[in-house]
Amino acid sequence: MINLTINGKAIQAPEGSTILEAARANGIDIPTLCYDKAVEIYGACGLCVVEAEGIPKLLRSCSAKCTEGMVVNTESDRVVQSRKIAMELLMSAHDGDCVAPCQLNCPARTDCQGYVGLIANGEYDAALKLIKNKIPLPASIGRVCPHPCEKACRRKNVEEPINIAQLKAFAANIDLDKDDSYLPECQESSGKKVAIIGGGPAGLTAAYYLTIMGHEVTVYDMMEKMGGMLRYGIPQYRLPKEVLDKEIAIIEKAGVKLVNNVKLGKDFTIESLKAENDAVIVAVGAWKSSSMRTPGEDLEGVYGGIDFLRAVIKGNPPEIGERVAICGGGNTAMDACRTAVRLGAKEVYVIYRRTRNEMPADKLEIDEAEEEGVIYKFLTNPISFNGEDGKLKSVTLQIMELGEPDASGRRKPVPVEGKTEEIALDSVILAIGQKLVQGDVSELKLNERGNIEADPDFFTTSIDGVFAIGDATNRGASIAIEAIGEADRCAKAVDAYLNGQKLDTRVPYISKRDESTIDYSDRKEQSRINPKVLPADVRNKNFDEVSLGFTEEEAQAEASRCLECGCREYYKCKLLNVAQRYDIDPSRFKGEIPQKYTHDENAFIERNTSKCILCGLCVRSCREVMDIHAIGLMGRGFKTDVSPAFSLPLDQTKCNNCGLCVQLCPTGSLTEKANLKKQVPLDEQYTEEFVDINGTQASVLVSRYNGKVLRVIPNDEVSRNANLSREELQAKLQ
Amino acid sequence: MRIVIGQGSCGIAAGAEKVRSALLKQNISAPISITGCIGMCYLEPIVDIYDDDKLVRLVKVSESDAPAIADYIRTGDREKISALIVTDEDSEFLSKQTRIALRNCGIINPEKIEEYIAKDGYTALRSCLTEKTPEEVIDVIKTSGLAGRGGAGFPTWFKWNAARQSEGEEKYLICNADEGDPGAFMDRAVIESDPHNLIEGMLIGAYAIGAKHAVVYVRAEYPLAIKRLKNALEQAREKGIIGNNIFGTDFSCDFMIKAGAGAFVCGEETALIESLEGHRGMPRLKPPFPAQSGFWRKPSNINNVETFANVAWIINNGGEAFAAMGTEGSKGTKVFAVTGKVKRSGLVEIPMGKTLRDVIFDIGGGMKTDKPFKAVQMGGPSGGCIPADLIDTVIDYKALGATGAIMGSGGMVVMDESTCMVGMAKFFLDFTAKESCGKCIHCRIGTKRMLEMLERITKGEGKEGDIELLEELCYSIKDGALCGLGQTAPNPVLTTIKYFRDEYEAHIKDKKCPAGECSDLIEYTINADKCRGCTLCARNCPVNAITGAVKQPHVIDTDKCIKCGKCYSVCRFDAVIKA
Amino acid sequence: MEKRTVDLSLLDGVLAEYASVKGSLITILQHTQDIYGYLPKEAIELISEKTGIATSEIMGVGTFYTQFRFEPVGKYLIMLCQGTACHVNSSELILQTIKDELHIEDGQTTEDGLFSLKCVACLGCCSLSPVMMINEDTYGSLTPDKTKKILKELREAAV
Repeated sequence: MINLTINGKAIQAPEGSTILEAARANGIDIPTLCYDKAVEIYGACGLCVVEAEGIPKLLRSCSAKCTEGMVVNTESDRVVQSRKIAMELLMSAHDGDCVAPCQLNCPARTDCQGYVGLIANGEYDAALKLIKNKIPLPASIGRVCPHPCEKACRRKNVEEPINIAQLKAFAANIDLDKDDSYLPECQESSGKKVAIIGGGPAGLTAAYYLTIMGHEVTVYDMMEKMGGMLRYGIPQYRLPKEVLDKEIAIIEKAGVKLVNNVKLGKDFTIESLKAENDAVIVAVGAWKSSSMRTPGEDLEGVYGGIDFLRAVIKGNPPEIGERVAICGGGNTAMDACRTAVRLGAKEVYVIYRRTRNEMPADKLEIDEAEEEGVIYKFLTNPISFNGEDGKLKSVTLQIMELGEPDASGRRKPVPVEGKTEEIALDSVILAIGQKLVQGDVSELKLNERGNIEADPDFFTTSIDGVFAIGDATNRGASIAIEAIGEADRCAKAVDAYLNGQKLDTRVPYISKRDESTIDYSDRKEQSRINPKVLPADVRNKNFDEVSLGFTEEEAQAEASRCLECGCREYYKCKLLNVAQRYDIDPSRFKGEIPQKYTHDENAFIERNTSKCILCGLCVRSCREVMDIHAIGLMGRGFKTDVSPAFSLPLDQTKCNNCGLCVQLCPTGSLTEKANLKKQVPLDEQYTEEFVDINGTQASVLVSRYNGKVLRVIPNDEVSRNANLSREELQAKLQ
Repeated sequence: MRIVIGQGSCGIAAGAEKVRSALLKQNISAPISITGCIGMCYLEPIVDIYDDDKLVRLVKVSESDAPAIADYIRTGDREKISALIVTDEDSEFLSKQTRIALRNCGIINPEKIEEYIAKDGYTALRSCLTEKTPEEVIDVIKTSGLAGRGGAGFPTWFKWNAARQSEGEEKYLICNADEGDPGAFMDRAVIESDPHNLIEGMLIGAYAIGAKHAVVYVRAEYPLAIKRLKNALEQAREKGIIGNNIFGTDFSCDFMIKAGAGAFVCGEETALIESLEGHRGMPRLKPPFPAQSGFWRKPSNINNVETFANVAWIINNGGEAFAAMGTEGSKGTKVFAVTGKVKRSGLVEIPMGKTLRDVIFDIGGGMKTDKPFKAVQMGGPSGGCIPADLIDTVIDYKALGATGAIMGSGGMVVMDESTCMVGMAKFFLDFTAKESCGKCIHCRIGTKRMLEMLERITKGEGKEGDIELLEELCYSIKDGALCGLGQTAPNPVLTTIKYFRDEYEAHIKDKKCPAGECSDLIEYTINADKCRGCTLCARNCPVNAITGAVKQPHVIDTDKCIKCGKCYSVCRFDAVIKA
Repeated sequence: MEKRTVDLSLLDGVLAEYASVKGSLITILQHTQDIYGYLPKEAIELISEKTGIATSEIMGVGTFYTQFRFEPVGKYLIMLCQGTACHVNSSELILQTIKDELHIEDGQTTEDGLFSLKCVACLGCCSLSPVMMINEDTYGSLTPDKTKKILKELREAAV
């Protein structure tokens, strides 16, 4: 035996063993992307370098042998720098998306590609479970979300984005209609207590995930029912409250304690809750309508947008009369104008400073409102609300035109000198934003915008143990999915806090493709499907849900349009794993990508050389282990490529589909197809099982997801050389 | 009288073969033979006329000079050839050298073994085989202090001894003649001019380490060298110098020539072995070193041509005689291929310990043009640029290493003020990026990214922080690359940053190329005071960007100008300004 | 492109000599290229059959070394030296001249099949830089005008 020291730990290693072997045998992890014991040592990736005292060069631990008395450091600054640069270089030439852009653009990082794919495959339960990893209120969110995911969806480069939000609602509806809606198993009780102030999307989400993590959670809310803005800010025709009720019931069933009609500052304080709990999350939202600072706002007949919506939902709508104007161009303005129509107003105007193209509201909403009779007054801005005897009579509008683009890139509206217009009105609804009611959270430090100052990654506030999320914090009110995303991450941060740790919830490095290089010319156009809606002349008279939701057929057809941008090997990508271990910034070395996105497949294996990192494991295993030589390294230097001879497709080589190359591929360059129509990236679990091949026990790896066998992969000499198709192998499974 | 024509590759390229056939047509009584590379490449073609031992050397000879030469042979009248006779100044190019490795080059006929034998050829081998044990041979080499001339400068005796000590019946002695450094051609000259010297050195090495097989791995781009080496091997075989029981002893050794196929990385010894075995020339991990596990996984020793070319001399003259030359750490002589903007370019062999000034100015005659000396590039893509103020650096492995450059295989490319140093770094990175085998990340992607950064800088797209990022990448590649090619690839960048940082900054900050070489950063204009309106520039402009009436100052339309520099080179009045 | 036929019997001698000598792949490929001017796919398949070396390995080797070509080349193969001395003495101008004269890029062949251009590593004739080789002949101390003249002469000689 040889005695050596690794990272200060005295270690014994057998004669002839490498530093890598000795380190691994002692639980010290040294990264490597080109080493595998199945094949000869190669030394290409250079990630396994270590520093040894007295040796000036870095050693590749995969090949350097242990020597007596050697003192090795596997994580010295020099080693880390070398690995970091290696990974930055490698990722600068790796053209692939770890996850799809839809998922990246979702503030909650919902695995859109995953559930869309599962819906396409008819796996609705699995889809719902995937969604509920990130969103505990998917039926509600699916209906109301302005879906940033769809803005990022690359299908728009073919024709239109996938209808991701409605597909989410579709999967969620199926689950809600069941008697045994999905409930994840909760972890063992931690004995820790968490209080959450505010039962809106943020509070409920944090409560749900913390409960699953085993903590005792109580949500306190000032209103008579839970749901926050989802309940009191969104009209019934868009989100039926029965749907919200059912979803909240599931959260309650998971074990969250819900307490209504209690108000911060009146019934309790943050400090008082803190005294009784191990952590407090403040998620009080923003409940005050913003003012436009226009003369006449105090007149009778001028209402705040969310105040108006809340009054309608609570069943006591204000008298708005026959002629109503809504100021604003966002989704709240749409909710207000369409509600006004339904309340029987004869003339409903939407006053907006810019044009239709600049409206932040969802396009579908803008169109549907118009169908219902709403009149748009674009390029106008109220300069005074005029009244008699304290009651609103009319509005004077300044006519605007579009000038130079502003900081946001939108063209800035500028007044047209001397041009105004007056419209007679009975009421005005100001839907231009909402603010935190500051007095409620006077115990916490606020920022210059007047919102709670919370760390964007740790969610901590000025009081230790008190966290804050959602509309009440930092930049103020935003969309529900933003609050849900914060809540999900905050739950993890609080869980860590309860375990005495500090968790940085920043999303670690992931690889993204350069959008400009993607070619869509081989994609066939296939129109986007929207669910059917009630006819305009029916729906504008009642509060019935406008959207009729997807039928199963529509949902599957729509989901099948997904381009599957994200990498199938995301969950087991060794490359990504190593990349995330070091604080890398490959953009420093942005440059030419060596290989174009290519696609070659046979019955089981798919190849894409643009993700290849040239570790050579596939070529070497095909040659050294299998003696098949189906693929080889071609060319040299930066442009080296893995390919069959003469660039033939795999199908025309001697490849026997043993799958060893796929198994050893450290990234998504080689993938093995699963038993799925749409190949969805899934966190599969592999187990070793044995099958009988001509009387011999042969090892296979079996991947299962949601109880279904997705792949069977040969795992020893017998199964690899059996030349059996995957179906035949699977048939042998018992 | 006899006539000897220098017929190395350079000589032939300059027209030596044409001169030879012209002379043959003259029906001269004197025999006409050939020799290899004399080393005065800038004077090729060269015709040496020996009258007994007296030599009349004619330079820059052309076919049309044949009658005059024939006349001289017949009459002895030098008048008609006086313009061709080498000047005393040019003769100094040779007389100031000390030739060991090149001792027979340009003197003997490389295609005749008899001429080599007449120069004491193969006596060293005979004395080794009959009078010395292999250990004694290694001892002589150890005493001589001979170090690898291929670049790394590793002690030759140590490698021989390691291979000797390695267990195994079957061992290989390999000669690395894959001379890939751009700007180095001494190995080619040795093989073309004195192939037996190489064979003898290799056989002595094979005897010392106990190898029965010798292999020469030679660049395919050197067809003449391959031809002459093959011929030499055949002659040696006929004389029983190669094969079984050489000189009647029980030492046997066969020889094999393998031609490379165009891959610079095969100069790296493990890549060379891969290539010898018929594979892609991708370096292996070391350890194991070739001395333990090399060609066909057998103990192997690899030295380069120049190293072997010294061996026979050392055996004949003793290790002490070799060690008497040079410095404390660098013994004997070194051959340099001096090229670029130097007046006299060619092969220069001098004792270690001389200075760069001795080579470039004393022997090389200084600069070719009136532009001042700026730097000398040594060691090719693995080396670096040494600036003018370090011209007195001593030729010694350590001293040259301290500058950031390396001794290397001996390429010395001399540059004047018109060479852009960022462009120089880009040139070498372009080379290494193309020659990277692609195996390890640092070299495959790192050299490419360095090249891209340098390309941006020379295009005027450099940005603040680029120099620091380049340096960070350089050090990381030196640390992380798998083989010598990658580990040394950053040297041209690091040395130019070290000595010419202001030039990098000028490109990045001022978007200017001080040497006026980077076409994206220069602009051509016409000085109206100097322009005579001769229209020559306008007629030569490929894009019609120059306008002006006859005898009136012309003007360049800078929007149309493609910066080809044609106007600048044709103007006879220095009226075109490059800035 | 017209269909070419490759006479594989021309390889008999080479294969008889080297097919069973281990480590001879590069030598075989060099001889093959000497025969055909490039490495035809059919020849590679035959070499694979006779040597037992997989085509993926042969192509791996063939594409690694710059000497090997997989397409026929023109009557005149121009190899322009990319060495340091040539660089310092403005070989870039010569490259541009050749490109302009022949309307081809590095690695391409003119439409009439006369000229192919290949930029190669240092030819070792540094004292004559800039240098190019056309087939077996070396041309040194090039200038744009001299280069044009050489190309013109070769073109005329070919007609």
